[in-house]
Amino acid sequence: MANIVLTRAFDNDWIGPALVSVFAIAVISFFQPSFLTPFNIFVLLSAIAVNMLVALGQLVIVGVGQMNLALGSIGGLVAISFGAMMELWGFPPAAAIICGLLIGAAAGMASGFVIARTGISAFIITLAGLQIFKGINLGITEAQPFYGIPQGVKDFGNLSLIGPIPWLVVPTIIASIAVWYLFARLRIGRYILAIGGNRNAAELSGINVNATIIWAHAISGVLAAAAGMMLVARLQLGHPTIGDDWLISSFAAPVIGGAILAGGHVSVPGTFFGVVIIAIITQALVVFAIDPFVVQIVLGGLILWAVGINRLREVRVSKLLGQKA
Amino acid sequence: MTAALLVSHVSKSFPGVRALDDVSLTLSAGSIHALLGENGAGKSTLIKIITGIHKPDMGEVRVNGEVVHLANPRQAGAAGIGVVHQERNLINRFSIAENIMLERLGQHDLSVINYDHIHAEATKWLKLLDLEVDCRMPVSRLSVAQMQLVEIGKALSLQSRVLLLDEPTASLTENESKVLFRVLRKLADDGVALCFVSHKLEEVFEICDTVTVLRDGRNASESQSMNGLVRADVVKMMIGRAERISRRAPRPKPDAAPYLELKGYASAAGHSNISLAVRPGEILGLYGLVGAGRSELAKGILGMTRRTAGEVLVAGRPTDIGSAADALHQHGIGYVSEDRKQEGLILLHSVLGNVGITVWRKIAASFGFLRDQTVVDHTSPVLRKLEVKTPSIYQTIGNLSGGNQQKVSVAKWIAAGVKLLIIDEPSVGIDIKTKAYLHDLVHELAANGTAVLLITSDMPEMVDVADRIVVMAGFEVRGEVENDRNYQRVSRSIMGYIHDRKAA
Repeated sequence: MANIVLTRAFDNDWIGPALVSVFAIAVISFFQPSFLTPFNIFVLLSAIAVNMLVALGQLVIVGVGQMNLALGSIGGLVAISFGAMMELWGFPPAAAIICGLLIGAAAGMASGFVIARTGISAFIITLAGLQIFKGINLGITEAQPFYGIPQGVKDFGNLSLIGPIPWLVVPTIIASIAVWYLFARLRIGRYILAIGGNRNAAELSGINVNATIIWAHAISGVLAAAAGMMLVARLQLGHPTIGDDWLISSFAAPVIGGAILAGGHVSVPGTFFGVVIIAIITQALVVFAIDPFVVQIVLGGLILWAVGINRLREVRVSKLLGQKA
Repeated sequence: MTAALLVSHVSKSFPGVRALDDVSLTLSAGSIHALLGENGAGKSTLIKIITGIHKPDMGEVRVNGEVVHLANPRQAGAAGIGVVHQERNLINRFSIAENIMLERLGQHDLSVINYDHIHAEATKWLKLLDLEVDCRMPVSRLSVAQMQLVEIGKALSLQSRVLLLDEPTASLTENESKVLFRVLRKLADDGVALCFVSHKLEEVFEICDTVTVLRDGRNASESQSMNGLVRADVVKMMIGRAERISRRAPRPKPDAAPYLELKGYASAAGHSNISLAVRPGEILGLYGLVGAGRSELAKGILGMTRRTAGEVLVAGRPTDIGSAADALHQHGIGYVSEDRKQEGLILLHSVLGNVGITVWRKIAASFGFLRDQTVVDHTSPVLRKLEVKTPSIYQTIGNLSGGNQQKVSVAKWIAAGVKLLIIDEPSVGIDIKTKAYLHDLVHELAANGTAVLLITSDMPEMVDVADRIVVMAGFEVRGEVENDRNYQRVSRSIMGYIHDRKAA
């Protein structure tokens, strides 16, 4: 009986990462009580808010069984467009945000369209997209940041809502619930997972595979756009390097959270704790003044651990199904 | 009464093969129809025509008397033809209900799924199928038999009045099959026309009302009533060729000790109690229908699946072969895969790159340096001998004909000088001339002392080439037949071994 309870807990994607998060917070704050000061919590939550959006952007594509290498460059392109629209053309922030989200959606749809129509692997197409979007970014900015960010936007990125909780968590909470709802309740979300789970069966059942793939990339683009604009608010400038360092953690968080890279299975709460773990490790580095290379190694180790657990589950499932299936 | 599905005078050719020649089939509402035939008789092609995957060259398909032109599986579904394929087509992590209702989860992409409605609909179909499980359970928790029923439910929920089942019992136990049959009978009583493809004749006699037998792409019988038929009649229709006289005389039995011997072998792939021995200079045939576990046994011998019981003896010594590399380099065992394109050859590479792959390790100079010339020296005598027709040995192998590709996949093992060669379905997709040439080659190899394990589902090929034939079914050895080249006798006793025993 205890065994069954354990198995159930083991089956749940977010419990493992959640326990690791709690454990890591406990250990770090034991050695360094300043870790849980309101200021530090504020910094931590701001980082988590942005990284969660990035991770969700990748999660949607992982769900359909693909990869989006262009995620960061779409986020970066939207970030500088957001800055340019406000500084150069004097767009009010609300209009600039809407245009930014549309640019993200359009860039994602473009990748998705090419992938669906040509049948070339998403890895290659988004690798090309990465270069193209980054090139446009540098062409517009000439590698110079946009500084003319309105005060309201800056405040949004740096003021607290209540106590140590930053305003930045608001869009992230909304987006997380939306993505969870998408996968749990909307037809398009289920189709994304169906294609990721068994493309052949999905196709034979009459699902429009191409349209679904385009949808997935458009949603991913919107989430990347939101993350890019939130970073502009946080950094108080539209820097052309925004998005450059998103790639590894965008995969690490969903995988730590139990997503299967081959597609068909994702977990929004699991991804959240994946993001938390990565944020804690990064913060610990600052708190303990550790060499940055240690973080890289620990992050790599975490990915291996997460993938290992994934693999264990797969083996167990295939044993349950028997060799014949 | 108009037939629910009428296939009349359908022909279909593929390059080099006439898969179907003037074939007809009638399915009536309320009856269960058996579609039988040996491997390669044309059953799959016929099913693919009925389900819109292939278009017939000639002839027509009628549903309820109306001619239909089916361009893809979705149109077949819309015409009321449901099919349960041999391989599972479910999304394992989705619930049963979602799988059944997958293409009807909502009106458009952004529809919010009404799970109450989906569950109610799915429960309706589960009830009809007597499947007492919670439809919110993920499919991955079901048994194989239950998954089968879910797929039937999915097909039926599309208002199918014609239901094709391709070997639905292949992976079911006897009890599970019984449950399935009860459901099928109930569906038939409700007015569905069912078509049942199976290799298990017991089952066919148990539940089918009418039967169509295909042989060599033609009707050996067309929608005939099962009344009055006995098993021997059906077997005769399936094999039925005029007696073939093999041009080869039986070869003397070599008296050398076996090179490879399996004693009570069982594997993680599901084999149990397999015993066989093959001697140097001997051609041992391994006959069975698709899914009998022959290729899997070959892979077990190569150490690619785990042995769970019994012994493997190579040259008389108990051996544990760990990998295909071990099998080749330590024990001289080669394997010509049935899947030439996926497992046998590297299609993008040159002839030289493919044929040399087995000898690289042997001929590499110090520091593992390989010179093309060394590889050429080692392999060109074999290529010449096999008369591989290629403009140059640097030609990409994907550009050669199937027959020449097959020659190369055999050549690479000859170049490696293997002592035991396992050849899996050597003549799939190659022309008659090359086939005959390959048969001669196998005989020559054996005459030079190589032990050969030949896997084929092609009965005439088996009778022509093998010295002894081990018959497999359900991942077990069912019996052994001494091949005296008397086609009628040998094929009868092989089919006897496959069909006579009750399915486990």
